[in-house]
Amino acid sequence: MNGSHNSMLKNSLEVYTGAMAIYQKDYRDEGGYDYLIYDNAKIFTILEKENGVKEFTSRVETYGIASTDDESSAMMLTGIDFKKESKISKLKTALKSGIYDSSGACLYMGESLAKKLSLKLQDEVSFVGTAIDYSFVADIFKLCGTFKTGMYEFDSSSAFLNRAYFDELFYAQNTSSYIAVSVNELKQSDLIAKNISKKLPQDTKVYTWQELMKAMVELMKVDSIFGYISMGLFFLVIFFVIMIYGFINVSSRIKEFGTLKSIGISDRDIDTLLFYEIIILTLSAVIIAMPSSAYLAYYFELHPFVIEGISEIYKDYGIISDEIPTSFDLFTIAWNTLVIVVLNILSIIYPIYYVRRFTPIEAMRHV
Amino acid sequence: MIKLQNIQKYFYKGEPREVHALNDISLTIKKGEFLALTGSSGCGKTTLLNAIGVLDSIDSGEIYLGNKEISQLTKDEKTDIRLNDIGFVFQAYNLVPVLNVRENISFIMKLQGTAQEIIDARVIEVANILEIQDKLDSLPSLLSGGQQQRVAVARAVASRPKIILADEPTANLDSKNSKALMDMMRELNRVEDVTIVFASHDEFVVNSVDRVIKLDDGKLL
Repeated sequence: MNGSHNSMLKNSLEVYTGAMAIYQKDYRDEGGYDYLIYDNAKIFTILEKENGVKEFTSRVETYGIASTDDESSAMMLTGIDFKKESKISKLKTALKSGIYDSSGACLYMGESLAKKLSLKLQDEVSFVGTAIDYSFVADIFKLCGTFKTGMYEFDSSSAFLNRAYFDELFYAQNTSSYIAVSVNELKQSDLIAKNISKKLPQDTKVYTWQELMKAMVELMKVDSIFGYISMGLFFLVIFFVIMIYGFINVSSRIKEFGTLKSIGISDRDIDTLLFYEIIILTLSAVIIAMPSSAYLAYYFELHPFVIEGISEIYKDYGIISDEIPTSFDLFTIAWNTLVIVVLNILSIIYPIYYVRRFTPIEAMRHV
Repeated sequence: MIKLQNIQKYFYKGEPREVHALNDISLTIKKGEFLALTGSSGCGKTTLLNAIGVLDSIDSGEIYLGNKEISQLTKDEKTDIRLNDIGFVFQAYNLVPVLNVRENISFIMKLQGTAQEIIDARVIEVANILEIQDKLDSLPSLLSGGQQQRVAVARAVASRPKIILADEPTANLDSKNSKALMDMMRELNRVEDVTIVFASHDEFVVNSVDRVIKLDDGKLL
């Protein structure tokens, strides 16, 4: 479960969000140009010096109306540094058509939005919005590429513009709606966020991925709870299946045990015999099953299951792929094996108790 | 010597279907005796044999093996008595099916911790007496009923118990095999000086032993 969640999380964060983001305080609550970061350079210097920070990039978001001859739609237009963005997110790999290295008035748009506006590559689309200084902005862009991240809301409302052109058009030089940050180790993100917070200007705030992707975190918590319950039930079923087979095996040999008891084998010896039997069976099963299951886990990590449409169902939770992520995790394999070994050993307790109840005579007469 | 004093045994005690299986049985069996408990079906001979062999408990009375009272021993102590002092031969042979003849015969000696070379020599010795020396590597399922019963006798006698208890040993054998078995057990009784007690209603067995103890409805006649 943890492995799958980690994979899901890694995929989602790498698509666009990043491990953390730095905002001007209140931007996420209030929005708008009044809460932009107006001194990128100062924050860039802090991030460059911070250990554990892998990459960072400034993004400026604005909203407006995109129109073609026949269609109009609200659109979130983001100015990005295409070069840096390719290192921090998967927008480049999400390209479905056209080219990634946009320049000038080249627009890079979500596939669903392009479809909504009936746009094809190289078609023109007009945009009306507001510049950073609240002046009126209007321009005509050319569609140079479409992307699909799998996040429906994102793909049906977002478009990207080369940062240099964006800055000029919107007067957005040296400003950011936020600065997205990726880290070398996701586990370290809280610590890194804490360190950065101490050095940042007072009016800025670092949001970690847990805060940025609350819905996904909640989903993973709920999934974990149900996962552990399901796993508990699964292990319980396994336990009873093993125990029932063990019981059938033992009860079919009661007569044999009666003979052994009558000729001088003690109950303790029979307990030991049954215990060794289950140990041998368990070890044989583990020797066969552990490498096979490890191989399967490894195989499915490289070639995940694909369930067509699952991302559509869970898009609200940030699931952006139809692939069911599997993680090859030796610790998980080891503790699952240990649980099975323990269950096997526990499963012989009742059959042992059952055999002990018989006197030699009763056992020999058992049918 | 085996001494039984006022043995009482009930089945389903306190229930409407209560059976008084052994009713005030007292008897003494001397060392080296070759005797049979006999009587009609349900008279209590197997129950008495099981009581002597501490396979089954009794409700009252005392059973002495030598000078030791054995009926009130703990489960583990009874197991030790069965392992070291008593050999059993059952009507249905009760051999361990997954062990070959050699392993079946040596099984008890191994449990007793006897050295392997002594076990090997003893297995050959009893196999020769019981004429199964060419079957030592066979599984019980490949043997005839008579041969299986001889293996059961060999297993019982190999560890040199003080007493052998044989419950209807000829019940599944034809007359030829019954005679051969009884001859061999007589020979073991003579050579090994082992006490042998049969529970049987087979006329041939009854006529072959030195002493016959008759039971009827749980009582000695």
